[in-house]
Amino acid sequence: MFQPRSIAIFFRVLVTVLALTATGLIVLFFLFLVKESLPVFQAEGVGFLTGRDWWAGESYGAWPMIFGSAIVTLLALGLALPFALAGAVVASEFLSSRLRWWAKSLMELFAGVPGIVYGLLGVGVLAPAVKEFFGLIDGNTLFTAALLLGIMVLPTLLTLADDALHAVPGKFRDQAQSLGLSRLRTVWAVVLPQAKAGLLGAVFLGLGRAMGETIAVMLVIGGRDRMPAPWYNLFQPGQSIPSKLGREAAEAVGAGLQWNALMGLGLMLFLMVLGMTVAGHLFLKRGRAA
Amino acid sequence: MTRGFLEKGVLAGLVFMTGFAVFIFALVLAEVAVRGGGALNAGFFLEEARDFGAAGGVRYQMEGTLLLMVGAAALGLPLALAGALFQTEYVDAPGLKRGLRLLVYSMNGVPTILFGLLGYLFFGITLGAGVSWLTGVLILAIMILPTIQVSVQEAIEALPEQYREAAGALGLSRWQVVRSIVLPHCLYGIVTGTLLGLARAAGETAAILFTATAFSGARFPEAMSDPVPTLQTHILVLAQEALNPRTIENAWGAGLVLLCLVFSLIALSLVFRGRLSMEFER
Repeated sequence: MFQPRSIAIFFRVLVTVLALTATGLIVLFFLFLVKESLPVFQAEGVGFLTGRDWWAGESYGAWPMIFGSAIVTLLALGLALPFALAGAVVASEFLSSRLRWWAKSLMELFAGVPGIVYGLLGVGVLAPAVKEFFGLIDGNTLFTAALLLGIMVLPTLLTLADDALHAVPGKFRDQAQSLGLSRLRTVWAVVLPQAKAGLLGAVFLGLGRAMGETIAVMLVIGGRDRMPAPWYNLFQPGQSIPSKLGREAAEAVGAGLQWNALMGLGLMLFLMVLGMTVAGHLFLKRGRAA
Repeated sequence: MTRGFLEKGVLAGLVFMTGFAVFIFALVLAEVAVRGGGALNAGFFLEEARDFGAAGGVRYQMEGTLLLMVGAAALGLPLALAGALFQTEYVDAPGLKRGLRLLVYSMNGVPTILFGLLGYLFFGITLGAGVSWLTGVLILAIMILPTIQVSVQEAIEALPEQYREAAGALGLSRWQVVRSIVLPHCLYGIVTGTLLGLARAAGETAAILFTATAFSGARFPEAMSDPVPTLQTHILVLAQEALNPRTIENAWGAGLVLLCLVFSLIALSLVFRGRLSMEFER
């Protein structure tokens, strides 16, 4: 066989260079983010994170956006999780493997529904429904965003939770059932505790995904850079970090403290999402190893 | 007795909640299909948008979306393939392997709006590509890179250990292993990964919103430095601006077209994954 060494070496160099280009770009992105947000931390100090007033050109307080992101994401997960768990138990423990394949395929399809389509549903269906149902002046609220986001992450959450349950070896189920436990009690007493790490991983990954969603949230959250008053009243318009970026970045691109402040928001978002994604994958890995 | 009763209750609850979730998604589909279906006719696919989206179709928007996603996949695939091969075939230190792996997964989680902002700053401003098709392609390529890479990598890692052992016994070099074992057997991973990457690029709005697209006046780009109209941003503008019911209907129509595009790509990837991985297990 004709096999010149030079091809092998060329290929190896090519693969290495391309792989390092991609890795390098990501590291470069992060450094850019830090560099671009530095001026706002110099100008506002810690007040950038805790400040409650954001008036472009005057003061930059990121707290309402950080709060908005956190509360909307947590509420979305809180709303979606019971349904995801129920669906995962049914899919993993009670469906035949053929039906389960269909269910998982459908979930994969729905996990791919573009954010803008959900945004359209939010504007056209959900926001008017929330307005009507709760008797509000405006249907664009933190709660509406959380509800929409909950629907959006449900497929991802469900399929990850199902994976976690399914990763529990069958022998545990067999043993529990040979001891006379019903299928449901087996799930409760054996499968769920065994799958804890995997389920936690699913929750963290779901949180990370929900927190970064931009377009759909932007269209229904209301776009108000203030804390709701009182803070727990979520039937008021608010703002999340991605929606703030999506609305304002275009007009502020590249210059001035407003841009630096937006990049500072981006850095916060990046760090929060990164933390959740890494935590999610570490838990998932532990779940698989168990 | 009471225990059996309780269990039946819990089971009914589980089934009810699952059914409710299914119902929600059926509702999502039905809303888009019913509201968007009215806008669809031959003209919708063939004409350009007029009167700020109230009349005409979405021809150039569809072409723009296709251009962006195909460009992104063409650029992202070689990078992703190289990344996957580098990690599985050329890196030996387990610590480095784990680190790179976590990096890819983390990248997959990075909010897309950040790819848009930083990509625009880097490609658009620093490298001078401006608001253009090229900038959009570069940003989307980086964004879908982890999607493709994870898919390829999973396929490579599913390769039976005996194949590598046999290759080792034959004294094959790494390059020979890659060329005659890894690539042919992991073709399904490459195909499904690319399809999923295309789907992800097609559904993305935030990353291209102010980096690659234009609303009115833009048609098929004459150069790589021109912005393109896309379905995603078209829907966004119509959804925000419109009071005219015709405009809203066209927004739903465009949404339906986009949804069908993304669904067919994902469905195709599922078919490929099922068929080719089965072939490989035989």
